[in-house]
Amino acid sequence: MQSFTYSHFPEHLSTVHVALFSNVSNTAQLKQRLVSAATMPGPEGEQERAAVNFAFIDARLICSFLHLQTAIYQAILADVQGALRTRTVHSEVLWALSPSTNITDAIRRYGISETTTSLILVRIGSPNDTTVEKQMTDVVHGSISSLDLLQDIADWSLIRKYHKIPAPAPKDQHGEETLKKTRELVVSLVACKGVLA
Amino acid sequence: MASSTQLLLASSTLISQGAEAKVYKGRLHPPSSHASNTDEFVLLKHRFNKQYRHPTLDTSLTKARVAGEARAIVKCQRAGVNVPSVRMVDASEGVLGLQWIDGKSIRFLLGGGAEGEEEVEETSEDETIDDQPEDDPLSEYNISKDDIMRKIGSEIAKMHKADIIHGDLTTSNMMLYHPRTGRTELVLIDFGLAYTSTLVEDKAVDLYVLERAFSSTHPASEMLFASVLKSYEQTMGKEWKSIGRRLDDVRLRGRKRSMVG
Repeated sequence: MQSFTYSHFPEHLSTVHVALFSNVSNTAQLKQRLVSAATMPGPEGEQERAAVNFAFIDARLICSFLHLQTAIYQAILADVQGALRTRTVHSEVLWALSPSTNITDAIRRYGISETTTSLILVRIGSPNDTTVEKQMTDVVHGSISSLDLLQDIADWSLIRKYHKIPAPAPKDQHGEETLKKTRELVVSLVACKGVLA
Repeated sequence: MASSTQLLLASSTLISQGAEAKVYKGRLHPPSSHASNTDEFVLLKHRFNKQYRHPTLDTSLTKARVAGEARAIVKCQRAGVNVPSVRMVDASEGVLGLQWIDGKSIRFLLGGGAEGEEEVEETSEDETIDDQPEDDPLSEYNISKDDIMRKIGSEIAKMHKADIIHGDLTTSNMMLYHPRTGRTELVLIDFGLAYTSTLVEDKAVDLYVLERAFSSTHPASEMLFASVLKSYEQTMGKEWKSIGRRLDDVRLRGRKRSMVG
């Protein structure tokens, strides 16, 4: 897991914890759990929601660490300004990643699904929370991997499809130049999400 | 209370100021153990409050301009034009965060001085700009003047093919960038005046503005600009004929269309 703190954001939103889980075996149950936690009444509901209070992101759709950071940054910024379009800062991260303005779409595409095997968990909170890694491993059955693997997990055809980026000519499909340009374009698209369209 | 973005600006270094915006160099994301972000710096362009405008109008103009600039950049990126990528947008504060391009402006590299006249705040350490051929700044980029001109022509053509008009093409708004790996690239910057148009007139005027910029900042540059146009023509293909013809008209009458009659 990796943590970093933005000193210019208010304390309760300043710290980001990110972990990449690979070989996740309980995605189906996890998705079920998220859905039921959302509507669970009473104090158990509160507790259950706190236990799964993360952004769950399908790692196949993330093409670089900067891509993820950009979405997190824009989500925190929206929360700080009281301009969240979704209910929580965590769902806002998913919304920022998605090219469409439809929240359900964003969660269906970028969130957890039955076919997810590599999963990114993001917690945005205060720097004082020291048990985040434990909370993450309690929820997900899988192995924590280095975030450097993100570039290898990326499913380029899916990323291109969602962002409507035409596939490059077959000869430079895997050229480092082409991938670099596409990565930069995707980062721009996420950063500009709020002002596009 | 200072907003988050204002705190971010306060932690960054002011590098230049114009009438419309201040430009800072800073870090957006905290430096982390994670080493994959090699270009950690960002350029922050802050369109500050204009005291001479009504606050409501000021906010909405600033918002629209930040959004417009961001959109133009994304559109260029989709068209494959080399431009700095967007890293952060805070439209309500009027701040745009862009990829830091570690390079030099073409104006400087062609010996036209370090900074544009609009950037008065320049710390004047290297005030004496005497072109000494022995320390030619171009040498570290391993590229000839003619190659740069060809790159300029083809980048502008790619942009015009996507129907984006830059609006302020000058040699200060182009940078040469030498990534640690890969070849030297020409990057177009400052899309603050950019807009979308399919009109031949607008594209011709865009080129004309650049031609004037060349002749006023770089003496005896006719040959250079001719080679810009040549590569523009090659990349543009069929569209060039009408733009070229219109450029000749624009040269006769100037940037503004006559409204007499």
